[in-house]
Amino acid sequence: MPCASRANVPHSNATRFGHFLVSARPGRCSIGAAVLVSFLVWLESTALSVWMRESPSVFAFPMILAAHTLGLVLLAGIDIAHKLRVLGVAPQVPESTFDRFLPVMWLGLWVNVASGIALFVGYPTKAVTNELFYLKLALITTAVVLVKAIRRPDRRAPRLLAVMSIACWVATIAAGRFLAYTYHYLDVADLIEGRRRS
Amino acid sequence: MSEWQLWLERLLLTVEPVSAFMRTAWGWPTMESVHFVGLTMLFGSIAVWDLRLLGMAASVPIAAFHRLVPFSVLGFALNAASGSTFLMTEPNQYLYNPAFQFKLLFMTLAGVNIATFYALFFRRVRTLEGGARAPGALRIIGAVSLMSWAAVIICGRLITFYRPTGCPPDEPIAFIATCIVR
Repeated sequence: MPCASRANVPHSNATRFGHFLVSARPGRCSIGAAVLVSFLVWLESTALSVWMRESPSVFAFPMILAAHTLGLVLLAGIDIAHKLRVLGVAPQVPESTFDRFLPVMWLGLWVNVASGIALFVGYPTKAVTNELFYLKLALITTAVVLVKAIRRPDRRAPRLLAVMSIACWVATIAAGRFLAYTYHYLDVADLIEGRRRS
Repeated sequence: MSEWQLWLERLLLTVEPVSAFMRTAWGWPTMESVHFVGLTMLFGSIAVWDLRLLGMAASVPIAAFHRLVPFSVLGFALNAASGSTFLMTEPNQYLYNPAFQFKLLFMTLAGVNIATFYALFFRRVRTLEGGARAPGALRIIGAVSLMSWAAVIICGRLITFYRPTGCPPDEPIAFIATCIVR
């Protein structure tokens, strides 16, 4: 659909971005872009989003960020220990022993899903406009699938899976760190007004 | 701020090649990535050991988990190295930062806890068979270890929110960990 009703979208820059993300039809406007921008405007105006950004309490953004790191070390840390065992470290520990730690790892995963959603709701535009965010989600999904896959009785090439898994976690961590430094738009106002920061 | 803090701050600032690297576009986030990989390895390999002391996976002899210790040490070494590069670049953001001071305190507690373990209990642990419950004192060691390392991580993550000097004035939002680099 050509760029007929710009009234739907306040600024062409947001429209172009919407194209890139939603319809992939360069040079044309889309309903998708308007919907995305409207969604971001709405999400950033919710009570949770405002609280994440503006609460001066240390138990708001700072402690949720700290919880996100604790979830990471429970899930990825214990998983890396398991993968080291698969690679031959600590041979006296039966591999199945690490199954006992699975509940702790899933606790870490759910802490991070919850804290991750809160962090996303605080700065949704920052996340969805950064390619690294999608890379990070894909890496986490792969690593979590590998947690299960390496425990299948009919698994093949366990050492390769273990190396892949460790590589996924390292890349996830790096993507997470770089997310704080590489964002293009901090909030939806940046997007609408075309204020690209990097 | 005291005399020795100022001395330490000046000393740290003399390592100019490190701070030059850290001020490049990729420097700071790269070292942060190393720091987070290190803490993940450190915490993960210590956590299985602590959880065993607390009674999880009790069928396995405690000593069997000891082979993971080199990876805790490797994680700690990565973090000591990458952590030093932060200090050498922005010493005043750390030396006068209460979150950093508490982080050092909890690291000391974790270290004393480890030293206590090796001094008093390690010999006994070596002879404990699979299925054995760890004695009460060892369970305390495991719990203190888990909690002190978690506290180190929490304090570390809070450093950016307790900066002794603020972010640049044009930084609009308080709680974004970006203002340490330009």
